[in-house]
Order: sequence, then structure tokens, then C-alpha cells
Amino acid sequence: MKGYGLIYFISEAFRGLRANSLVNLLAVGTISMAMLIVGFFLLAFINLQSAVGRAGDRLEISVYLKEGLSLQEKDYLLLRLKAEPGVKKVTYLPKAEALAVLKSELKGQEALIQGLGENPLPDSYEVNIERRFAEADRIEGLAKKFSGFPGVEDVSYGKEGARLLTSVFKLITYGGMALACLLGVSVVFIISNSVRLALYSRGQEIELMQWIGATRGFIQGPFLIEGIMLAMLGSALAIGVLAAVFYALPQDVVLFLSSPNGLDFLPVSVVAYMTLGGGLLGLIGAQVSVGKFLE
Amino acid sequence: MIQLYRITKYYEGIPALREVSFSVEKGEFVFVTGPSGAGKSTLLKILFCAEHADEGQIIIQGMNTFRLTSSSIPYLRRNMGFVFQDYKLLPHKTVFENIALALKVVGAPYGEIQRRAYQVLKKVGMDSKMHLTPPKLSGGEQQRVAVARALVNEPLVLLADEPTGNLDPQSGQDVFRLFRDINMKGTTVIVATHDWETVRKMQRRIITMERGRVTDDGRQVGKRIEKQEQRAVITKQP
Repeated sequence: MKGYGLIYFISEAFRGLRANSLVNLLAVGTISMAMLIVGFFLLAFINLQSAVGRAGDRLEISVYLKEGLSLQEKDYLLLRLKAEPGVKKVTYLPKAEALAVLKSELKGQEALIQGLGENPLPDSYEVNIERRFAEADRIEGLAKKFSGFPGVEDVSYGKEGARLLTSVFKLITYGGMALACLLGVSVVFIISNSVRLALYSRGQEIELMQWIGATRGFIQGPFLIEGIMLAMLGSALAIGVLAAVFYALPQDVVLFLSSPNGLDFLPVSVVAYMTLGGGLLGLIGAQVSVGKFLE
Repeated sequence: MIQLYRITKYYEGIPALREVSFSVEKGEFVFVTGPSGAGKSTLLKILFCAEHADEGQIIIQGMNTFRLTSSSIPYLRRNMGFVFQDYKLLPHKTVFENIALALKVVGAPYGEIQRRAYQVLKKVGMDSKMHLTPPKLSGGEQQRVAVARALVNEPLVLLADEPTGNLDPQSGQDVFRLFRDINMKGTTVIVATHDWETVRKMQRRIITMERGRVTDDGRQVGKRIEKQEQRAVITKQP
């Protein structure tokens, strides 16, 4: 298509948008509602993902050592732990330090460990896991492997916590994806109906264009652009509303909901993907109607 | 240039055209006449690839239209202008924009669109009204604009389906005069009409149809007159 054709497509698309302004306004409103829901879930997903990630960073596997290991045996074990894929950091925690930590954690209830006499805690290595390994099955696999290493008495980690984190993350991911698909289909449906109305209102013009030798591409071009513009407008409106609500939230609510870093708004890349994704849905919706109409 | 061989077309089992065969040479002017329901419009639609014949073959400029894919039909149509009884002008566009659309469709550049649209409007005497919209024009004027649109891409063939059906006798005469001028410059013209008076006056080849069949083809008469007129035009030229 020549440059002049593209200008023609865009100007015709604008004319179409103006001609059916009420229908198109309704379509933009409905699309923005759907995209607002998508945006809300994306916002929740991104913030939860980062919260889950941060919680994942705190996930540790405690590797308890057998009594009486020599320095060489401890160093060998340290090397083996560090060599495992998924291990970010290994810290040695001598038994005296472990007792001090326990005491500080039991502040106010020191009586519980008063009668222990000798320090019953073993020396241990605290193993930090990489974020990508912070998943229940993988941690369990690592823990099992560590327990087989020579010199290891026992292994423990926050099993329940890891399981909970994993299932919350899965729920958000798959639930969000299912909802996004559902809303995506509804956007396609809305655009398809809106473009169909435009097609019927310009049926005479389309028929004439066919008679004077217009190709299918020339006829459908303005309608496809109209569909893209409607969906992108709806998406942009949704992002605008979401941003307005987000930044208008009282700070104490934000702090209550957030982690130490605060709540994050959608990153620029996600905003761009949302708008372009909206445009793609608009293109699909318009293509469905135009394809049927021209048949 | 155009050859039809045993063309048959059915609508819901009822034949609209029955074994229609004839050929039209380059530069010919042909009237297709007959009563309503004779099959004139169907014939023109088939020539324009707006309808498909159920049987037979059509060759236009060496191309068998049965073998054309749907994506190549627009390119065939760009070599054929079509004039409708109801003009089919876009009411919200100006006269100029209606003509320009036919040029935009073929991808003509902006400057060429301006130049050619103005030239063709001048040719049909509508240049002074190019900024008006069709509803502000008389029927005759609208039909002249429609003819201009059909001519703007310099088609090899001009097809017209009852072009004077909605016009008063004077406007009808003007339109036919326009067709004659176009034909004398080499464009093949095929007009479906039941305006017998004009047909007789014009003295061109007349194909008469009845109930979907060609009942008469006055080929020789038409050819003789066309040759006389074309010779006259050539001798007049400096």
C-alpha cells in the first residue's frame, strides 16, 4: 500500500469513528471497563509477584551438622553446598551463635531454655536459595539432596511457607491468565460488534468501492484501523483511570498494602504491552467482522 | 475484445440467461435492449464479474473470467467503467471526492488525482459544480458525475445499465451524447436500455433480448454506422 493509501485509511477511520460516535463511545467505555479489570489484576499480579519473590528470598534451608566434624569436613561440605545449582549464599552458624539467635527470638520467654544446661543446638549452614528456585518442589528436592551429603545430621526449611507461597503464586498466575483470556475474548466481541455496525452503516460505500475496482485490502483497511483505534483508546482510558486511582490512594493505605518498597504501579513496558495488546485485540475483532461482511 | 459463449445463468432454478452468445469488438458501441426481465442487467453484471454464470465461457481482453480468482477481479474492473441507473454516488462526499475515490482505489498519487478528477469533470461539464454534494444536483447532473467516475480511470470498456432510466428526455439525450463522444475516442460502450427511441436515433448495433435469450443482433448496421462516424472524426482532425 502506498503512503497515500495509509493516510486515506487513517482519515477514513477517523471519519468512521465520528460518524458512529455514540456507538463508538459505548464501545470504548465497555472496552476500558474490561481493560480496567485486566489492569487491576496485572497490578495485583506484579505486586504480589514481587512480594512472593521477596518472601522467596527469605526462604532458607538449614543444614545441621553432625557433632565433632573436623574443619576439613566442614569446608568440604561448604564447597559441596555452594556447588549446588540454585544455592545463592551459604552462611556458617556455629551452635553458640544459634543459641544466641534463639534467645533473641524468645525474648520474654527465656525461661523456656533456662533449664537446658548444655547448648543442645548443632552447628549449621544456612543456605539461601535463588529466587527462581523458591518453589516448593525444588526446595524439597534440594533439601533431600543436602540430607544425603556426608556430615549432615538433619535438614529443615519452611516447608509450609514454601508450599503456601507456591500455591498463591500459581493461583495468581493461572487465575489472572484465565481472566485475561476471558476479558480478551470479550474485547474482541465488543470491537467486532462495533465494527459490524460501522460496516452496515457504510454498506453502500463498500459495495460501490467493490464496483470501482477496490481490492479487499483497500476496503478493509479503514475498518481494521478503526478497530485498533477503538481498542487502544479503551486500553489507554483504563490505564489512565487505574493510574488516577492508584496515585490518589491515601499513603497509609498504600503502606498497609505494601512491602517495605511500597506498591509499584504498572511498569512502562507493561503499560505499552497492555495498549498494544488492546490494539491487537481490536484488530482481531475488526477482522472477524470485516471478513464476514466481505464474504 | 469481449466474447460470450453460451452463457446461462439461473436464479433459484429459473433461467435468467439462456445460452447467450455474442462478441463485441474493440471500439464498438452496443445497445442491449429488451423488456424488463429480459436478462439485460444480469448480462451486464456477469460481464462485470458481479455475478457468475452457471454455464458458458466469457473472454474479456483474452482473459477467461471463469478462471479469475476473487483477488484479481478488482484489477479487471479497473479496466471497465460501470454506470448505474441510480448513479450510486456517495451522498456525503462532494462531486470531486466521488471522482477522486475511483482514483484513490487504484492507488493514484495525490497530484494525479487532483489533475485527472478535474479534467474528467470538465469533460462532462460538471467542473463548476465539483464542490457540491450529489443531493444538490439534478438527476441528469448526477448521472454525468457517475459517467465521469466511470471514465476517470480511462477504461477500455464502459458498461451502463439503464443509465437514463431516472432521467427526463433531455438529460437522457445529454448522457447518450456523452457515451457517443466517449465511444468515438475508442472506448467500447455497452448500454443496456429499453429506451427504444434513443436506441433507434443513435443507429448503433442493437442486441435484442427476450426471456434470457438473444433474439436479434443487428451487428452489421451498427458496424457500418460506426465506421462512417469514426472516418468523419479522423478527417476532421488536423
